[in-house]
Amino acid sequence: MKRNLVAIEVNSLVKKYGDLTAVDSISFTINKGEIFSLLGPNGAGKTTTVEILECLRRPTSGRAYVLGFDISKDQDDIKKRIGVLPQEFNTFDSLTVRENLQYFAGMFGSSVDIDSLIKLVDLEDKRNEQYKKLSGGLKQRLGVAMALVNDPEIVFLDEPTSGLDPKARHEVWNAIRGLKRQGKTVFLTTHYMEEAEALADTVTIIHKGKIAAMGTPEELITRYGQRNLLILRNTDKVAVPLIETMGLEANFDSDAGDVKVTLNHSSDVSEIVRALTLKQIPFGEMQLKRSSLEDVFLNLTGETLREAETP
Amino acid sequence: MNRVLIDLKASFKIFFRSKAAVFWTLAFPCILILLFGAIFSEMDSKYSLYVQNQDIVGGEPTLTSRNFIEALNQTGAFNLHTLDPTINVTGYALDKKLSYVLVIPEGFENDVSKANATIEFIYDQSQTSAMVVMGILNSVINEMNLGIASYPNPPQHFVVLQGETIAPKRFSFMDFFLPGMIAMSAMTTSIFTAVEISSRYRETGIFRKLATTPLRRIEWILSRTLYLIVISFIGMSVILMLGIALFNVKVIPDPLSLILVATTSMLFSGMGMILSRFVKDPETAGAAANAITFPMMFLSGSFFPLEQMPEFLRSIATVLPLTYVNNGLRDAMIMGEPQRAIMNTIIVAVLGVICLLAGAWITKWEEE
Repeated sequence: MKRNLVAIEVNSLVKKYGDLTAVDSISFTINKGEIFSLLGPNGAGKTTTVEILECLRRPTSGRAYVLGFDISKDQDDIKKRIGVLPQEFNTFDSLTVRENLQYFAGMFGSSVDIDSLIKLVDLEDKRNEQYKKLSGGLKQRLGVAMALVNDPEIVFLDEPTSGLDPKARHEVWNAIRGLKRQGKTVFLTTHYMEEAEALADTVTIIHKGKIAAMGTPEELITRYGQRNLLILRNTDKVAVPLIETMGLEANFDSDAGDVKVTLNHSSDVSEIVRALTLKQIPFGEMQLKRSSLEDVFLNLTGETLREAETP
Repeated sequence: MNRVLIDLKASFKIFFRSKAAVFWTLAFPCILILLFGAIFSEMDSKYSLYVQNQDIVGGEPTLTSRNFIEALNQTGAFNLHTLDPTINVTGYALDKKLSYVLVIPEGFENDVSKANATIEFIYDQSQTSAMVVMGILNSVINEMNLGIASYPNPPQHFVVLQGETIAPKRFSFMDFFLPGMIAMSAMTTSIFTAVEISSRYRETGIFRKLATTPLRRIEWILSRTLYLIVISFIGMSVILMLGIALFNVKVIPDPLSLILVATTSMLFSGMGMILSRFVKDPETAGAAANAITFPMMFLSGSFFPLEQMPEFLRSIATVLPLTYVNNGLRDAMIMGEPQRAIMNTIIVAVLGVICLLAGAWITKWEEE
């Protein structure tokens, strides 16, 4: 019964390239129907991990099962049941959106409805446009649709929004949310914190080939993030002792005239506002800085994501 | 098999949508043929012919010799140059690198009346047009003989052209050139397409995407090979049609020529796959393909007969696969000597299968 709920199971997976250990004994389990995100800087071992699960590379040691099939023995069974958007995805330049989808559907011998796939990723206007004429975001959306031609149970998306502008990124995100609504399990690798935060049910942070932390985004932020920060702009320093009486830590920045409060609970915000209003202490603007996965990563590794990138 | 057909269909769509591919595969050989055709037919129309008239009586050339020279002039085939009757023609011709010299001997007119006249023709054997010039000279002399024969009360006196006799060979430059172009086109199309596709698909990640589908590498290579064979056949048909239509080339249909073109395509697709495996960067791989094919075209007798080349270059030709393609194609489709083409076909086929298998073996979709 439990087995049926598990989409992917990875046990002590290792991949070495000569002296370099790209993936260093990682283990995790992914449940069906969730969006699982493998988050880490470039060079952390994300792509190596997915490509092992996609049966494109062989692990040095360790075991992994995709939908109950062994990656070292049942490649054909796995390939039939998964869909892949590879990193830096590309397809045939001078074939149209439709023709590319037809080609790959044909490779799987799949009779999927091409038009409904086109509709799913919102490319109806571009169906007869050649691939090379599409913008980056549209190309990625076609890539998502192409990962669905065989109606897979699991969809692997490797860095799906790398290099896209924010608008295009949100369009791809919408396509990914559509996959979850269809009941697909999604394996997403990304080095964008906000992408994992926006999409993932489970986030696994990978750093130098090892798993640094795993959990829902909220769990990770609560456990490893800093507490949220409230900034009151252009206020009086008398606010500081007032807030401290509430058992909260507060500092006055005399240059900017700002008071920074470290919150214990989100309900603290309304308490502070009520107290300030009661005492008629003015404040110009109020900003709530939530802790993010970026802080989680910094706390776990001592590096920011950018610093952690290996060339 | 279905996957092979799907891939083939897509490949042809991609080919016909690529202006560059269509140009290099189909239009470029045609342009070369027209260009070479124009150069050689231009040269065909006017040959420099040096004439030494020794048949002088009383300080004046005889009437018969003058008539003969006038007849030569009227063919429009020659630029006639007169040589001083006193010089040593053979030495002079060698010295000045003259290709064609005609000597009308002393007493020519007298000999004509005795039906025993000869004209000496000294020519450079290495000239491709030697046969043509000889042919024109012979026709002028025949004309002259007929003219004499049609006199009332014909003296039945004939003029004979004395030169080195060579077995009659009725092949034009285009007959020679066309098979060379077919071989060249099959070679370049196959090697460049194979290099281009292998390195670009690897670089852009299309191989990675294909590797995630049930398409097998062997199916893909089969499709690729069939595709290039068909494209080579299309190139061959275009070249042949052009040659037949514009240059009156007589082509003998022979299955061996089809086998030769198909195996040539296999040979060079395999070579392209091998190249792009070792030279990863697409531009460098293309340059390497150029470095292989370009000298091969010249050294294997695609454009010029091997017989004209110095000995050491001819020995290089014997190790170039394209030489066997050229020879085989000429024997099969132009000379009509298929039995001579069989050995060449076997050599090319064996090499083709070996190269293709090696290329297929060595081509990887994924890195490491």
